[in-house]
Amino acid sequence: MTTISTARPRPVRPARRAPSGRSSARIVVGVLLTLYALVSVYPFLWMVSAAFKDQVEVVRGGHLIPDHPTLQTLVDTWNELHFFDFFVNSVLVTLYTVVLTVVFYAAAGYAFAVLRFPGRGALQKLFVALLFVPGVTVMLPIVLLENKMGILGTHWGLVLPFVNGGAPLSILLMTGAFSAVPTELRDSARVDGAGELRIFTQVYLPLARPALITVALLTAIPTWNEYLLTRVSLNDPSKYTLPLGLQVLSSENVPHYNSLMAGALIVVVPVVLLFLSLQKYFVNGLVGAVKG
Amino acid sequence: MTLQPTLPARVEKDRTTPPRSGPSRRRDSRYEALTGYLFVAPAVVLFLVMGLYTVGYGFTLSFAKWNGFAPNWEWVGLDNYKDLLWRDPVYAPRVRHAAANTIWVMVAAPVLTVVVSFPLAVLLNQVKRFQGVLRSVYFLPYVTSGVAVFFAWQYILQPDGAINSLLSGLGLGSLQQPQGWLGNPSTAMPTMIMITVWGHVPVAMLLYLTGLQGIDRSILEASELDGAGWWRTNMSVVWPLVRPITAIVLLLNLREALQGFQTFLVMTNGGPGDHTNVLGLEAYRLAFLKNLSPTLGLASALGWLLFAAALVLALINLRALRSKT
Repeated sequence: MTTISTARPRPVRPARRAPSGRSSARIVVGVLLTLYALVSVYPFLWMVSAAFKDQVEVVRGGHLIPDHPTLQTLVDTWNELHFFDFFVNSVLVTLYTVVLTVVFYAAAGYAFAVLRFPGRGALQKLFVALLFVPGVTVMLPIVLLENKMGILGTHWGLVLPFVNGGAPLSILLMTGAFSAVPTELRDSARVDGAGELRIFTQVYLPLARPALITVALLTAIPTWNEYLLTRVSLNDPSKYTLPLGLQVLSSENVPHYNSLMAGALIVVVPVVLLFLSLQKYFVNGLVGAVKG
Repeated sequence: MTLQPTLPARVEKDRTTPPRSGPSRRRDSRYEALTGYLFVAPAVVLFLVMGLYTVGYGFTLSFAKWNGFAPNWEWVGLDNYKDLLWRDPVYAPRVRHAAANTIWVMVAAPVLTVVVSFPLAVLLNQVKRFQGVLRSVYFLPYVTSGVAVFFAWQYILQPDGAINSLLSGLGLGSLQQPQGWLGNPSTAMPTMIMITVWGHVPVAMLLYLTGLQGIDRSILEASELDGAGWWRTNMSVVWPLVRPITAIVLLLNLREALQGFQTFLVMTNGGPGDHTNVLGLEAYRLAFLKNLSPTLGLASALGWLLFAAALVLALINLRALRSKT
């Protein structure tokens, strides 16, 4: 260790000499990384493949690249198997959930981060405690309660518990973002005569834009994919979301895997596009959530 | 949390702007408290109904017998808990079996997730080109985690699915599973664990990657000057440095393994022959798939046992994180 102080002058270069240095080692790294990339996308490759096969070819198994690629499976799934309707339902449920989550918890986060009021700390702890109650523990009471309220089986019956379920994480992220805003901004806005609502909407919200997008994303993706509560809540096929549509296809006596995979593709593609376009917020949010 | 620093700063501000008289300042703080309550009101109201009420209701129900339709609950005290844990000849063995399966997942999935994601992050951290692309690709399993992908797995794990044909293509035909990977009782659980790991590697890898990028270059250079090779540097310098991240990854995965059951419900529904039945799934079945039998109290009780276990994990989590920082 003593060599550090008397270190010979050395050209600065990447610390880890080995794999990045020699070309053979570099190839090994490349191969390993590519292999895991294949593992990551493997089910998706076959999902895409089956979605472009017809009924006959998908039963035979066959090649990854379809021998007779067809768009008919996707078209039929979209139109005749009602995936268009399921898609609309999923969009609605996700949209309501995201909007309410952002509005409710941006406001709550602002109060927790900026405003002083008795009981603030206790309330905040209460919301975090919610994080430790397993979903399966409250699912039954939620269904029974909604039955009593008459909203079981409606989209609102899904949205409300989804919004509440997102509370701990959303509040954590929003409180963090608002705490980072310098208080001088609030004070000077007050001097200018701005009320609390204006300070919130015109000073704090614009500054917390990245956190808002993160919360929206971290809400949208699980909501889009949600299956457990949806499955026990919805009875009316006209209200089904995409995951339930898939469930119906798969529970046929002999599942038609080409339609099932076409449906799966319809579920997956919007999420992947959303993720790819807003990746930065997603990554920051996840790291922030875990560190928080 | 970072709330603390803002308070003293503001108190000081107030002192430097004296023109306000006492009563008006009191009015100010009352106004602020009122706005505070208004701002948290929507969240709190929803929480009271969907959170607190349902939690209380579920907890009460765990001391009763009810089938969901009968007009009255039959109070049974701690019977549901006793039945689940040891007394009932039908449920207790099922719960024990499901607990054994759950523990299996809780041991294997977190360890394997670390074993895959740490090296992956180290390697990924070394490439400059394609790093962003690869990271996105590695992230797909997390983003899409849901029913759609589980059905895709089911499809390729079938008897005549892609995994079996891949094996025969590689000359490993003897490893094929003619009943399908999820149909054979001895491969079903390991397969489910592999899929769980596949789904958990993305977040773990990402956390390791951020950890690695936060390590001071000079530490690694010092290790290099000491003559440590690439392997030694990673094993005896980098690995200890990211230990807090390993703790987080392990605990996140433990909790997920304890509570998560969606993959199991969708892909195997606990089968074949309960070989992949886990505790969360058992609670779900007791709650929703027992039509008219009075198992709702049992379901709630099992849910609360899971909560107790999650709480213990959370406390360990806190203790571990505190001792690290």
